[in-house]
Amino acid sequence: MNYNLIYSQVAGHIPYLLGGAILTLELAVISFMVGWAIGLTNASILHFGPRPARLAVQGYVTFFINTPLLVQIFFIFFVLPDAGILLSPYAAVAIGMSLNAGAYLTEIQRAGFQSLRREEIDAATAMGFSVPQIVWYVVLPHIAKALYPPLSNQFIIQVMTTSIAAIFAVEELTGRAYNVNSLTFRSLEVFSIVAVIYLVLTLACSLALALLGRWLFRVKARVF
Amino acid sequence: MWEQLLEDAPRFFGIWNLMFLGQALLNTLLLSYLGAAFGFAIGFSLAIGRHPRLNGIAPIRLLATAYVEVFRRIPFLVKLMCIFFAFQLSGAQASLFTIALVTVVLSAAAFAAEIARAGIEAVPAPQWDAAEAMNFSRWKVLTRVVAPQSWRVVLPPLFGYAVGFIKSTSIASQIGVMELTYAAKILNTRGFSALLCFGTILIVYFLICWPTKRFGEHLEARLGRRPKV
Repeated sequence: MNYNLIYSQVAGHIPYLLGGAILTLELAVISFMVGWAIGLTNASILHFGPRPARLAVQGYVTFFINTPLLVQIFFIFFVLPDAGILLSPYAAVAIGMSLNAGAYLTEIQRAGFQSLRREEIDAATAMGFSVPQIVWYVVLPHIAKALYPPLSNQFIIQVMTTSIAAIFAVEELTGRAYNVNSLTFRSLEVFSIVAVIYLVLTLACSLALALLGRWLFRVKARVF
Repeated sequence: MWEQLLEDAPRFFGIWNLMFLGQALLNTLLLSYLGAAFGFAIGFSLAIGRHPRLNGIAPIRLLATAYVEVFRRIPFLVKLMCIFFAFQLSGAQASLFTIALVTVVLSAAAFAAEIARAGIEAVPAPQWDAAEAMNFSRWKVLTRVVAPQSWRVVLPPLFGYAVGFIKSTSIASQIGVMELTYAAKILNTRGFSALLCFGTILIVYFLICWPTKRFGEHLEARLGRRPKV
């Protein structure tokens, strides 16, 4: 191997790459929050809804979990324009990632809903709570602690998944790595630096989420 | 949109395109199942190498732990690009398929190591103490005490992860490996409608992933029902 790694040419671009990391976090947060809302709605439907709605939700979850996110976004980005819906790359990626996260977060939250006791919901119904009220005031506070570790895990996965946005020319961390690579041609250097940034980013997120969980719910989440 | 679809469909599902997609499907299957199989084998070794009661050499434990933590926290695409350029710059003549396979193996190993660790930790501590008190060697503890009990915990989630790797191989289209996603992109460039190309491979992916996942769930229900040893 006659190749010398030269990091000095790439070092000047590190602030630019870190700017991409902010966009990465932004995409992860947006898709996670939208996916969480989709997941909560779907889990409520699976628990309280009528049979046709339950089947529809199950179909959605099964389909999105068993197909690659990349192809889902390809579909959104290239097929929807034929139907007259033109999306920017950023929007297509954000929508694809949200729908994909929605399916996983449905699965996670459905498991939480199943841990509820019948009496609690009966009591809430007797007090005249509507289904959204039951979910928000009775179900969520009850299962929040149990759900916290898998949810924060999903967020970390979401941070790593955003790298797919680079394929659609969104300039997040990996997208900017492609840019720096075509400027400097120091390919291995660029991508190894980006790998380290991802490592630090996800570790920082894990640590922050573990501390938050300890403060909010006294969850003993482990970072490693 | 729909008229065009009906018009395109017979041309799209012609014999050449089907053979082309079949080849791509074969590559996807080889890449994901071979990669998962090799990766899981390495992952189990890593899990054993990480465990303080199975491996006494601290530096190796540390290395195995570092490997698992690092490779689980880097996106597949970034790993793929690193390995791609590393191969290119080292001057080794490797096919794109090999590069993608190496990436799948290296990531599968890290994830499998975590699952295997959970399996090893499911064996209660008194059994370890008992085996050590009976002067079992580390190898015997592993093969006679730990493995017979932990495989039930380890096996079912592996299928869920295998599905994850089938889906990850779609990212290998990025370096030009001739698998399903890349085939769809090529057909799309040849002028077939995006709906046909990407819709078809979405269904094909679903048909591979869903049975794999169901099999894992079936195993989980079956192995979970039996009384523990």
